[in-house]
Amino acid sequence: MVELFWASMTELARMIATKAVSPVEVVRAHLDRIAALDGDLRAYITVCDDAALEAARAAEAALMSGQPVGPLHGVPYALKDLYDTAGLRTTGGSRIFADRVPAKDATVAQRLSRAGGILLGKLNMVEFAYGPEGLNPHYGDARNPWDRSVQRMAGGSSSGSGVAVAAGLAPGALGSDTGGSIRIPASLCGITGLKPTYGRVSRAGVLPLAWSMDHVGPMTRTVADSALMLGAMAGYDPADASTSVLPVPDYLAALSGDVKGLRVGLLRGFFLDGAAPQVRAAVEAAATTLSRAGAVVDEVSLERMSLVSAASMAIVGSEALAYHGEFLRTRASEYDPDVARRLRLSAFIGGAHYVRAQQVRALVRDEVDAVLARRDVLLAPSTPIVAPAVGERQAMLGDGPSEVRSALIRFTRPFNLSGHPACALPCGFTDGGLPIGMQLVGRPFDEATVLRAADAFQCLTDFHVRRPVLA
Amino acid sequence: MTNEPIDLETLRRGARLAGFTWSDAELEEIRPQVETTLRLMRALEAAPVGDVEPTTHYRTV
Repeated sequence: MVELFWASMTELARMIATKAVSPVEVVRAHLDRIAALDGDLRAYITVCDDAALEAARAAEAALMSGQPVGPLHGVPYALKDLYDTAGLRTTGGSRIFADRVPAKDATVAQRLSRAGGILLGKLNMVEFAYGPEGLNPHYGDARNPWDRSVQRMAGGSSSGSGVAVAAGLAPGALGSDTGGSIRIPASLCGITGLKPTYGRVSRAGVLPLAWSMDHVGPMTRTVADSALMLGAMAGYDPADASTSVLPVPDYLAALSGDVKGLRVGLLRGFFLDGAAPQVRAAVEAAATTLSRAGAVVDEVSLERMSLVSAASMAIVGSEALAYHGEFLRTRASEYDPDVARRLRLSAFIGGAHYVRAQQVRALVRDEVDAVLARRDVLLAPSTPIVAPAVGERQAMLGDGPSEVRSALIRFTRPFNLSGHPACALPCGFTDGGLPIGMQLVGRPFDEATVLRAADAFQCLTDFHVRRPVLA
Repeated sequence: MTNEPIDLETLRRGARLAGFTWSDAELEEIRPQVETTLRLMRALEAAPVGDVEPTTHYRTV
């Protein structure tokens, strides 16, 4: 039998429901793994040992007494430390919020708990989610588990979520994605991460980076697990005016494993031309895999991508400064200096720039919509590079050198701007054993098709079942 | 907005207008990135947006 800490959420849910394992065994296996490895990996900021075991015992009792149970009954998960949790500190990865204890759970935390999930703890992240490398000077840098010889970036901002899931310290977690913060660590850590459509999942009770760009989503080892988590937490929430009233489909039922006739647009130009050679080759090979399975693959370019960087900076910078302005005036010395510097830059962005950026946003959204009018999903790399070593500043991309930070967010943030759903998943490994990620992008609120295509790819390949070697 | 390098006085004025009183050292530290940011904002000004209406709340159904 597979070790419990490597079992998927869907396997764990099934084993618990059939009483093949106890939720207590499952939670204990994960807590033991965290105790053994997290001193080095630094995926967690807070571990809920006692509360998790208590919840597991209650879940076991409920099962034994025949009570009705939810789809995640007894299955552990973890939250990026920007989801409010009642009575449990929520730091946002910052010193400023080191002792902040919310009175109420975030809506998605409530929903996962109601589905039977058991919270293992709160995960490390870039301070206030403002950065893609995954570094944190206050709580330590979450360590990418795929290289034991060199400290490599886990990717951010949901760095702890990426590391915990990749290393078996949680079977699934929530991240948040403003410019790629779910998909970048998913890519660098070799796991699956879904940024749903803007409006699909409630942001209520989630510390904001930029309200109009923030997306909440699952990070798991399999697509099926992301479908399971999404189904448990998606849907309208009166506490978040941006959530949609559209019904939530059965995402697990959509996973047919079949891509026959699925129309896939392989994104060339800005995307494939900008990727490092090994990444490009892996994504092209993924397109071939899908094509051989019956998908109809064609090539397409998005011409407005050159505007994305400036528009994203104007929107994210302005909204982040609006949230942080008062802290920046009164407690600036408590910020990570790098985060403080980036926030200060936004003081020089004007209101007209913000509005112009929102006009560009409409253009980018329309272009992605137009391309998807004739295709079901788009295929692109998640990041143009694999995990850089901590301290690396420059990267060589397919079209020239780039700062690492800009490189990491280059392929992900267009879809924060446009709001389309995008699922990152592993599609290869470098010769040195580092994971390579691709993303599938779909029509608004059509996560079911994105997940179907991604799951079919995982049925055809084994990249998602490879594990890092950890002492 | 020009392509000229930004001097310290301009930075001070910009920060003050935004409601911040940062030290000269703090402003000097971000000067190169402010110049990059302003270059990007100029690109935004030049974007061919026509009469497209700005997105506000994104496509909630």
